[in-house]
Amino acid sequence: MLAFVTRRISAMIFVLVSISILVFLIFFATPGVDPAARIAGRNADQETLAQVRHSFELDKPLPIRYLSMMRHLFVSQDLTSYVNRGAKVIPQLTQAIPATLSLVIGAAIIWLGLGIFFGIKAASSRRKWIDPTIGFLGIIGISLPVYWLGEVVNLFTQAKLHNSVFRWVPQLGYVGITDNPFQWFLHLLFPWLTLAVLYAGIYVRVLRNEIRMVMSEDYIKTERAKGASETRILYKHATRMSLITLVSLFGLDFGSLVGGYALLTEVVFGIQGVGRLTYQSLQNFDLPVIMATVMYASFFVVFMNALVDVLYAVLDPRVRRV
Amino acid sequence: MHRRPLIIKAVLATTALLVSAIVGTNASLAADSAPLAPYDAKKAGGTVTLVAQAAAGTLDPKVNYTAQFWQLYQASYDGLLTFSYGTGATTFNVVPDLAEALPAVSNGGKTFTFKLRKGIKFSDGKPVTVADVKASFERIFKVSSPTAGSFYNGIVGADVCLKTPATCKLDKGVVVDAATNTVVINIIAPDDAILSKLAVPHAVINPASAPSKDAGTTIIPTTGAYMYKSYDPNKSLVMVRNPYFKEWNHNAQPQGYPDQIIFKFGITPTAQVTAVENNQANWAFDPIPADRLNEIGTKYASQVHINPLTAMWYLPMNVNLAPFNNVKARQAVNYAIDRANMVKIFGGTQLAAPVCSFLPPNFPGHVDYCGYTKGATPAKPAKAWAGPDLELAKKLVKESGTAGQAVGIVVSDDDVNKQMGVYLQSVLNSIGYKATVKPISGNIQFTYIQNTKNKVQISVTQWYQDYPAASDFLDVLLGCASFTPKSDSSINMAGYCNKALDVKMAKAKALGATDPVAANKMWGEIDQEVMADAPVAVAFTPKQLDFISSGTKNYLFSLQYKMFVSQLIVK
Repeated sequence: MLAFVTRRISAMIFVLVSISILVFLIFFATPGVDPAARIAGRNADQETLAQVRHSFELDKPLPIRYLSMMRHLFVSQDLTSYVNRGAKVIPQLTQAIPATLSLVIGAAIIWLGLGIFFGIKAASSRRKWIDPTIGFLGIIGISLPVYWLGEVVNLFTQAKLHNSVFRWVPQLGYVGITDNPFQWFLHLLFPWLTLAVLYAGIYVRVLRNEIRMVMSEDYIKTERAKGASETRILYKHATRMSLITLVSLFGLDFGSLVGGYALLTEVVFGIQGVGRLTYQSLQNFDLPVIMATVMYASFFVVFMNALVDVLYAVLDPRVRRV
Repeated sequence: MHRRPLIIKAVLATTALLVSAIVGTNASLAADSAPLAPYDAKKAGGTVTLVAQAAAGTLDPKVNYTAQFWQLYQASYDGLLTFSYGTGATTFNVVPDLAEALPAVSNGGKTFTFKLRKGIKFSDGKPVTVADVKASFERIFKVSSPTAGSFYNGIVGADVCLKTPATCKLDKGVVVDAATNTVVINIIAPDDAILSKLAVPHAVINPASAPSKDAGTTIIPTTGAYMYKSYDPNKSLVMVRNPYFKEWNHNAQPQGYPDQIIFKFGITPTAQVTAVENNQANWAFDPIPADRLNEIGTKYASQVHINPLTAMWYLPMNVNLAPFNNVKARQAVNYAIDRANMVKIFGGTQLAAPVCSFLPPNFPGHVDYCGYTKGATPAKPAKAWAGPDLELAKKLVKESGTAGQAVGIVVSDDDVNKQMGVYLQSVLNSIGYKATVKPISGNIQFTYIQNTKNKVQISVTQWYQDYPAASDFLDVLLGCASFTPKSDSSINMAGYCNKALDVKMAKAKALGATDPVAANKMWGEIDQEVMADAPVAVAFTPKQLDFISSGTKNYLFSLQYKMFVSQLIVK
C-alpha cells in the first residue's frame, strides 16, 4: 500500500512539473510576448529597457529563468506580477480563494439539493407527466450558457427592474463573509443560482438514470419479492447506490470549479476569485500570475484524481497491483 | 503616451445611433477657457466611486505611464510645476506648484532656478525639503522610469545615471541649497518642452526615503489634497484626504470636494454603465460598449460629456520594407483611405473627427491642412479632408511598380481595431495590393509592431499626447533617435529617419525655448514636410466620452489629464 501511495505521489509531482514547464515554454514561444518592453513603458530608452530586462531576469537563458521563477513561487514565495509591478502573486491568489470557495460551495449546495430532489422525483413519480417535464427543464438548464444567463440576470436585477422589484440587489462584486455576512449572502445569491442551474440540470438527469438502472437490478426484485415497501427500496437501496456515482461526479466538478472553472460566472458578476484572476492574467500576458493560477488549478485536479485512486486502492485491493 | 490597449475596446460602428441629443460638447477651446472657480466648502464631503475593468499597474508615480492613474496623480502628487486646473486651453498652462513661481531662466536657456515653497508637508507629516527634490530627480533614474531616457536625459549627469542607475547622483544637474531653499536645474541643451516635462507625474517630488526601486503596490506619501489609503490591483484603490494638506496655489493643487475617492477594479464595461445609471458609481473609466451608447445618448444625455482629445489614430507604414519603401505607395494609402468611414467604425462623428495632419487640432503647431484629399496634393494642400481619391491612389500604385504585392495589416484583436483592419484590407485590395489582416492580442500588438524582427508592413495604432508640445508627436514618433531596429521599444514604427528633418526638428526645439510662437510655426512646416514623405497615414482624432451619474456635479475637463476627479461634487 505504501509503495502504491509513493508511486502515486511521485506521478502527481511529475505531472505538475510537466504542466509548469509547458506553460512556461508556451508563454515564451508566443511571438511578440517579451514582457520587458511592456514593463519598461511606452517609448522607454534602450538602456532603461536593458535594465528592466536584467531586473526581471529576462536576459538569462530559459532554464535558469524557469528555475528562478519556481524558486520565487515555491521557496521564497515572493514572485511578483509582470503587469502590476510590485504586486506579489501568492497573496493575490490566497485572497481570491475565499471568493471562489464561497461561490462554489454555495452553488454546490443549491445544485445538489435541486439535483437530488428532482432526480428522485423524476425517477419515482407515478404521475406520467412529471418525468418528461423535469427532464425537459434539466435540458434547458444544461443548455443555458452561464455567461449568457449571468448577463440576462444582470440585465434584470441591475438594469431593467433595478428600480422596482430588485431594488435590494447590491452592486456587482464580492464582500467577504467576515466583513458582513448578510452582504456576502446578497452579493452571492444570483451568482449561486446562475452557476447552480447548469449543474442542477446535469445532476437531475444523472441521478434519475442511475436510480432507474438500479431499480431494474436483480437484488431490487429480490427485495420487492421479500415484501419491502417501495419507499424503503427507493431510499434505502436505489438512491443510496446511485449517490455513489453522483459523489464521484461531484468530486471532479467541485475540484475543477474551485480550481478556476467558475471563471465565466466570476467575470460576469465581478467576483474577484481565482477564475477572474486567471482571466485577467491571460488577457494581460502576466506570466507569473498565469503560472500561479495554473499550478493551483492543476494541483486541485491532480490531487483529487490521486485521492480517488488511493481510495479505490483502499476499497479494492486488485488496484494496488497495477 | 500610448493609451493602455485594453481600453480601446468596444466603441462600435453602430453609433450613428449616438443621438445628437448628447450635450456638453466642447467644440471650441478658446471660447470656454477659464480658471478654476473658488472653493466652496459647503459642497465638500461624500465618496466618489470610479469603476474600471482593470487597474493600471504600479502605483509609483515615477513609473506608471497610463492616463488612468495620471488622472489621479494630479490630485495627490505635486512637482515643482504642474498643469493648471480650470477649463479649456487653461489646462495646458504650466503653473508653479511646489515651487513659488515659474523658474528664472539663465545661461542661454540651460539653467532654471526655482524657490521651493516653505511649510509644505508630506502626507506622513514630514516637511518637503530641497533634499527631497534632489532625491526625486535621482529616483527617476534609480527606478528606471519609462521616460528617464526620453524626457530627463538632458539633465546634466543623466547620461551616467542612465548607465548605472543604482548609484545615480545628479550633483551638477540638480543643485540644491537648503539655506535659501533654492533648486537649480541644469540641462545640457535648451529644451522647448522642459517646463512640461517638469510638470508631468514622473517629475513629482517624493520623500527622499522613497524606495529606490519601483514601489509597485506600496504607497508613497503624497503632498496634494489626497493621499492613498490602500491599493490592491485586483480590488480597489482608495484615496482619502491628506490631513497635512493646506491649499497653496488654487490653480495648481486646489482643495478637493469628496472626502474619499474609491476606484473599483474588475467591473466589465457594460456593468460599469449600469452602475453609473444606478448611481452606484459616479464615473465609468472604460469606453462605453456600443450596444449601450444609444441608451445613454437618449435616456441619460444630460450625464454625458464629450471633449476633444489631443491624440490620433494612425497607420505607420514601414519605410524599410516593400511595398512601403516606395513613397508613392505610401502616398497612395493616404489618398485611398476613407477617413470618414474609419470615424464611423470608431463610433461616429460625435466621437472622432477625420484629420490628415500629423499634429492634432488644438495642439501647439497644428495647422489646418490636408495634402491627401480629393483635388489636393502635399504641395498644394486643401484646408481640410473632404474625401478619398481612389483613382489617384491606383495611379500612384501603378507608377510605384508595387502593384500585386502582398501586404499584412497588423491590428489589435478588439472589435473596433479588427473592423479597421478589415476595412483597410478592402481599400488596399482595391488599389492593387493583396492584403491580409493579422489581428493579435491588444496587449502585445503595440510592442509587436515596433520590432523590426516582426517585419510589420502596416499597422493601426494610436498616440495620445504626454504634454502639449509639437515635439511630443513629431520628434518622438518620427525622429531618428526613436528608431532602434530589433527592439520592442522603437516607437518610430515606420522606421522613418530623415536626417535633414531631424536637424530642422532640433532647431525648432531650440527655438521653442526662447520664441515658442516662431517655433510652433516651424513645427507646422515640419508637419507638412513629413507628411509629403508619408511615413504614416493619419486617420482621425478621437474624442473623450465621459458618462457620470445623475448625482455627480461640477464635471470639469482637462486637456492634459481629462476629468478632474478631485473637483467632482457628490454632496
